[in-house]
Amino acid sequence: MSNPVPLTTDHPGQVASATPPAPGRSRRLSDRGLAVAFISPALLLLLAMSVFPLLWALYLSFTDYSATRGGPAHFVWFENYTAILTSAQVHLRALTTLIYVVGAVALQTVLGFAIAYLISRRTHGRGLLTTLFLVPMMLSQVVVGLFWKFMLDAQFGVINSMLGSLGLGQVEWLTRQRTALISLIVVDTWQWTPFIMLIALAGLTAVPKYLYEAASIDRASEWFRFRTITLPLVWPLLLIAVLFRAIEAFRLFDLVYILTSGGPGVSTETLSFHVYKVAFLGFNTGTASAYGILMVLVVIVLTQLYLRYLNKLKED
Amino acid sequence: MAVSVDEAMSTGPVRDHTPPARRFGGRGRSVLEIALLTVLAVVMLFPVLWMIETSIKENRDVYAIPAKFFDFTVTLDHFKDVFVASSGRSALSASFLNSVVVAGVSTVLATVLGVPAAWAYSRFAVKAKKDQLFFILSTRFMPPVVVVIPIFLMYRQVGLIDTKLGLILIYTAFNVPFTIWMMKGFVDEVPAEYEDAAMLDGYTRLQAFWRFTLPLLLPGIAATAVFALIFSWNEFVFAIFLTSSDDVRTAPPAIAGLIGGTTVDWGLVAAASVVFALPVLVFAYLVRKHLVAGVTLGAVRR
Amino acid sequence: MAAMLVATTMAACGQDDGATSAPKAPATIPELTKDPLTLSFIWFDWPPAHALEAFANAEYTKVRPNVTIKVNTVPNANWHDAMFTQFAAHKTDFDIPILDSQHIGEAVTNGNILDITDFVKKNIDVKAYNPYLLAAYGQYPQAETGKRDENASLYGLPLLGDTWTMIYRKDLIGDKPPQTWDEMISVAQKCQADNPGVSGLAFHQANGSDAAAVTYNTVNAVYGGNLWDSKTRKIDGVINDAAGQEAMDVLVNKMKPLTAAGSGNWFIDEVNAAVAQGKACIAFNWIAASGGLLDPKQSTLGTTREEILDKLGFATLPSQKTNLVPLGGMGMHVSAYSPAANQAEALNFMKWFEQADIQKKWAAAGGVPSRTDALESPEFLNAGPFNQVYADSVSRMRDMWNVPEYARLVDIENTNVNAALNGAKTPKDALNDIAKEQQGVLDSGSRKGGGGL
Repeated sequence: MSNPVPLTTDHPGQVASATPPAPGRSRRLSDRGLAVAFISPALLLLLAMSVFPLLWALYLSFTDYSATRGGPAHFVWFENYTAILTSAQVHLRALTTLIYVVGAVALQTVLGFAIAYLISRRTHGRGLLTTLFLVPMMLSQVVVGLFWKFMLDAQFGVINSMLGSLGLGQVEWLTRQRTALISLIVVDTWQWTPFIMLIALAGLTAVPKYLYEAASIDRASEWFRFRTITLPLVWPLLLIAVLFRAIEAFRLFDLVYILTSGGPGVSTETLSFHVYKVAFLGFNTGTASAYGILMVLVVIVLTQLYLRYLNKLKED
Repeated sequence: MAVSVDEAMSTGPVRDHTPPARRFGGRGRSVLEIALLTVLAVVMLFPVLWMIETSIKENRDVYAIPAKFFDFTVTLDHFKDVFVASSGRSALSASFLNSVVVAGVSTVLATVLGVPAAWAYSRFAVKAKKDQLFFILSTRFMPPVVVVIPIFLMYRQVGLIDTKLGLILIYTAFNVPFTIWMMKGFVDEVPAEYEDAAMLDGYTRLQAFWRFTLPLLLPGIAATAVFALIFSWNEFVFAIFLTSSDDVRTAPPAIAGLIGGTTVDWGLVAAASVVFALPVLVFAYLVRKHLVAGVTLGAVRR
Repeated sequence: MAAMLVATTMAACGQDDGATSAPKAPATIPELTKDPLTLSFIWFDWPPAHALEAFANAEYTKVRPNVTIKVNTVPNANWHDAMFTQFAAHKTDFDIPILDSQHIGEAVTNGNILDITDFVKKNIDVKAYNPYLLAAYGQYPQAETGKRDENASLYGLPLLGDTWTMIYRKDLIGDKPPQTWDEMISVAQKCQADNPGVSGLAFHQANGSDAAAVTYNTVNAVYGGNLWDSKTRKIDGVINDAAGQEAMDVLVNKMKPLTAAGSGNWFIDEVNAAVAQGKACIAFNWIAASGGLLDPKQSTLGTTREEILDKLGFATLPSQKTNLVPLGGMGMHVSAYSPAANQAEALNFMKWFEQADIQKKWAAAGGVPSRTDALESPEFLNAGPFNQVYADSVSRMRDMWNVPEYARLVDIENTNVNAALNGAKTPKDALNDIAKEQQGVLDSGSRKGGGGL
């Protein structure tokens, strides 16, 4: 595991406080006892509820075990893994997931940053505006999915009704290959643009005022100021926001389950949704476990690479 | 420090102080920006408004084409239906109650486990601290659909399938990493010198933590707890795969269950969604000062 | 927590006894408890589930005052998963699972429900039923369409009968329903042309549950196709034979163009909504799900039930090369993991429920009975305008496969038919993919790496 530092902007005082100044020998011992007593319950819970299940899944991933059919699990070693990695069905879902993740995250990053930028330029009503923009993000995915399904309904939905009033034709939002995936991206963007906005706003409002004042004396062009002052200061934060969103989008399940249930055909089935089908329709637990392990691996490896890139960026 | 909405409102570092007259089109640009913001705000808020409107419409008007925006009869029947069924209390209201219990207890547990751990991580030299912390964070990144398979197998051995306790445990496990990361930031902000001074006065380390640091952490704990509460409140995947009976089912699967019968009562779906979303919005408003930290598991704090 | 770890680890190592055959229920009902007892069912959330709970609590408690009936309901999309995850847990919060007829194979093979063959012999008057109804909701291995194998084991009894009804607008196409499938299509075509804003047809097309699959199966049957050859377990070459291809062609190229834009994800609810909003000339839906159409509060067709019935007609499905209709509905079964007292009570309930007078009362309460005498009773025939349709359809029913692989087979068919209906695949490709993939599932068995992809 690499250094998690880029994720934190640590308080400077922390270094000093981590090692108490000149502690007595006896107290140090009790400190260690205290640390163990305070940390171990939380770690034990995580071991039991996260690590142990994951190890179990790892074991099952090498077997042909089925949760319903019973009988002992036979080792099939890497058969599950090779089957998954060579399956055209899986490749199709991987592609769908990739398009979805890239499309949704890119769209909400651009929109979120734009909104944050516009808000940061206002003096009045910023609090109210920010609060209002944040509402979608707080809603349950179930509520979001159900309600957009209602609004996107081709016959009775309000979206097509409004398009109709404008003299435009009906769009089959959820039942055409392209539009269905686009609809998923739009709904996800609607819900999570506020997330990017919030973080971008944090970066924008933290840009020291004097930098702009200096630039404005130099009569630097607006674009120049944006590019040389604003963006470099907000960029690292934005990249972290993108990381969080990408991880979340990669494991998308709820929205697909409710909005399209993977349709039309299987064209909006994400990897998560496919795992669900393998696990709960056929109860092919072994295969589903291998599938899940591979997904976790993808997340960990990509996150590591990304963090390394962030670190490098920070050093430059 | 976490950015707050209030702060954003009062201080405005990114201000264009150039006199508008000197800049060609400065005013026009401002108008354009306001117009753009308004449009974006309307687009973002329209679904929410439409949900509220649908919840007070009669079902006949819900399906009207073209859609009725203003001209409809207002009814509160759907809200009544959320809570009351012909045979007494509705299944939906029971699920709301289950949500309160599950989300509440798991939040308390996550706080009780997470806050002391966060304090310890902040104050003491722990072996491989960074690796531990990263490990803790990474457990939070696993896809729920993947985790639910082994959890299911584990729960069936110990009889936790379809129990509130089962849901509470898994939600606690998902909230503990968050609590530790978020709280560690808050603890870092309280100078360790306070505790050192107290210890010079004869208090033990534990007493110093309990009597001096903890009271200072209370606002942070409240904010952290609220975020944990929101997660548990909205969670769907574990809820739908690990529970099935009315006595256990939380609100998200119950609301999802409103469609797929024989007719969809969209008015009821909307009313249930509004009722369900209200507590979260209230809570989110209460912790608006810590939103940035809250939504990034404490990773971004300034 | 540590204890839990240990417990699960031990269980992980030496788990599962390998029991794969269903345990047997006693032939005679054991002595029933006098203590308060809750008898729980599991079903998906729809009106018959609520009707059953109300009916059973009102009537069954007359003979068993210490019993309360609870019908747990789950979202339709979650129904199979909810039952079988609990079966997998070997602990169920229900005593009587209400399985779809096609779920029987999976439940029996895994030993999840009781073998009630002996119980039925001793307690149920099997002659009172159309043999195929008895077989469809209880027999495994599956019976031949229209028959019952008296030597085969029974695992359930009928709870709610169902089939598709054709719902047509009398005010738009006239009082007389079309008799053949071709005629139905041309009538719908004309109706759609004559009435702007109203589409000719509405039917299930969604890729969840068994929606699109039942639609294709119905057309397949009507055009003389077969889903599989059960004796040789052959699907490839059977479902996609000439008749199967013609059925898919009719469905995608003749029927789909007459449906509303964006109806490609419609299931029960949406079809009902289209009818209630006056947006469809002819619609197909499950009878048990049609009650809501007569509710003036949900409908724009009239302000009273009578006004609505002036416009809506209900008829048996048109025939073409055959007159087959899809078998719907569900049976009652007994969970193998219920406490003995509850299992005894469940058997007693089933015996009680299958009596002639109770079946008639169930009909009057909105249920669809299965005993022939109840089906022919005025209580049933007068309870709803579609009940005659059901009575007339009983001898025409055909079911899907009820093999253990059902859930995967139906998913393959659902997604591919749905893809064809929505232009994501050509009809021919979709059908051939169904044949190939389903055959793959049947052939592979469960004991192989990578199963289920």
